Amino acid sequence: MHETSQQLTLDLKRMIIEALELEDVTPDDIDAQAPLFGDGLGLDSIDALELGLELQKRYGIKLDAEAEDTRQHFASIDALRALVETRRDR
Amino acid sequence: MTYIPLTQRPWRRPSTENPTPEALPADWCRPAALGSAIDAWRRWLVDKPQGRWLLHNPAPEAFCAALFALWESGRSAVLPGDGRADTLAHLGQRLDGVMPEAIPHTPTASAPPAPQVLEAGAEALVLYTSGSTGEPLMQTKRFDQLDAELDVQASCWPLEGSVIVSQVSHQHIYGLLAGILRPVCHGVALCGGDGHYPEVMARRLAEARKAEVEVTLISSPAQLSRLPEHLDWPCPARIFSSGAPLAAEHARRAESLLGAPVVEIYGSTETGGIAWRRQASSADWTPLPGVEIQVQNARLELRSAFLEAPEQWWQQADLAEPVPGGFRLGGRADRLIKLAGKRVSLTAIERDLTALTHVTQAHCVRVTRQESQQEGRLGAIVVMEENALPHTHAERRALSEQLRRHLAPRHEAVALPRYWRFVAELPTNAQGKLDRQARERLFADLSDNRKPRWLGELNDGPNQRHVTLEVPERLAYLAGHFDDFPVVPGVVLVQWAIEQAAHGFGQSEGFQGVDRLKFQRPLAPGTRCRLTLERRRDSIHFALESREGRHAAGRLRFRHIATGEVSA
Repeated sequence: MHETSQQLTLDLKRMIIEALELEDVTPDDIDAQAPLFGDGLGLDSIDALELGLELQKRYGIKLDAEAEDTRQHFASIDALRALVETRRDR
Repeated sequence: MTYIPLTQRPWRRPSTENPTPEALPADWCRPAALGSAIDAWRRWLVDKPQGRWLLHNPAPEAFCAALFALWESGRSAVLPGDGRADTLAHLGQRLDGVMPEAIPHTPTASAPPAPQVLEAGAEALVLYTSGSTGEPLMQTKRFDQLDAELDVQASCWPLEGSVIVSQVSHQHIYGLLAGILRPVCHGVALCGGDGHYPEVMARRLAEARKAEVEVTLISSPAQLSRLPEHLDWPCPARIFSSGAPLAAEHARRAESLLGAPVVEIYGSTETGGIAWRRQASSADWTPLPGVEIQVQNARLELRSAFLEAPEQWWQQADLAEPVPGGFRLGGRADRLIKLAGKRVSLTAIERDLTALTHVTQAHCVRVTRQESQQEGRLGAIVVMEENALPHTHAERRALSEQLRRHLAPRHEAVALPRYWRFVAELPTNAQGKLDRQARERLFADLSDNRKPRWLGELNDGPNQRHVTLEVPERLAYLAGHFDDFPVVPGVVLVQWAIEQAAHGFGQSEGFQGVDRLKFQRPLAPGTRCRLTLERRRDSIHFALESREGRHAAGRLRFRHIATGEVSA
């Protein structure tokens, strides 16, 4: 079953909100191009770990150990979507 | 001159037993001479309510007479920390009565009622102190706590043959114990009130020297660190200092200027006295007799008969290091926690939050969800002025963004609070503390996505509750309803009313339905609202309102309405 990119974008936003327990954020509040870490959504190093687990759980994606890689993938929702589209196994 | 405990009313000892030196001026307070003033107060109190009475009087003699009249008539005295009009008005309206400055005229013919026995376990005092959060905290003291401490002080530093000059306010525990109750228990004269200034203190010392009596001086670092050199100081026999540690240099200077040992007492309103030191001998603290000390995780813990719960270990907010025979004090524990291997100072985050003008108070806590074994995240309870509180999703988001941005330059990302609870006042228990139950309730919606976010509760008499709630954005009931226009289903609002009513009034039995149910307005996620619950004979009325207006109202009918009061 293939979702549209739009649906995947919404799913990823929801995943982030759920997994990271963001209280004041709705999917509409997240800009797909904006950085997730630092200035943008303000995610931190604990969140990076949580997101890694979540991606594995939901999409079967195993991230590389290199932090640099991880940071690239988690740069924005769009980057995350690209990662999921190419690496997902479920 | 013997020491008599408070429960045996030392102020009633015959004045012949402890004659005050004749040569002392008349404005010294002689405890044995207070009898007629105490009786006059008791006559006035005869037809007044029992319970807790506000007492604020800077004059020691008038203060003593009023205090002992309250005690002899089975009442307890509430001592406000300051005498500002709004403090007194604020406290006064919550209490059973307010002691006037002077005894109102009463017919002198009527004999006062027989004085009541002072029960050791009865409440003697209610004191106010600033807690770790900055909000005034209430602290009660029983007679047995006070007597235990007075007894220890009497054995360590007897006041035989001495009189007391105090420079410290008796509205606080140290000034009350050292400046008032100790001399009263020993039956020796005292003066204070006007002795805050060094010139007055020097005059009092001179009066005592002229009367050929020893003086014990009750002082504090504020005064001992600012002693002028030009005054002629008649030497007291001993100086006590408390309230804060005295700098070594100031201790040395005070000892040399006044020619007497400076004994520092370390303690707090909650604990009473803990330890003492004389810096001329050692910078380390020696526990007072009867005070057990241990150091756990670098924090000082103690057990003593002066505590409200004498059998339990009490943890001080101060860091300490054990040394032979006592301990060395470090700074105040900075409330450090570890998140993601990083040290996070809760105090620092709170301090930075309160630096913002619209934030009056902030309290940070580690929040862990039950199902996760993770170390959790930081939650911030932020007290704000009413008009700065967020009422909608957009306002709340903008505010939490603003606070995060404000903190970001000075703190690690992991140290930024993830969960924000914006409240008009800190939800506290009967002791004035933000307890574990309130903390858990504030964040309970995180582990149960069917719950509203609880932000505090006000009691308006026994039958009315105002509960402040917020609709969590991740509320389960919002999902799949209307994606573009999520609202809380009406049945959920009724469920919330039933749950909050059970919390506020106790569990009512036999739910029979809802009458006059109205849903006036949809309730959107992020909305701050107020649930008013009113208990009647056979039903509980509820109304849910936000800044937009009323969202829902109705009447919950039960076969049997709970009569208890569960929440504070």
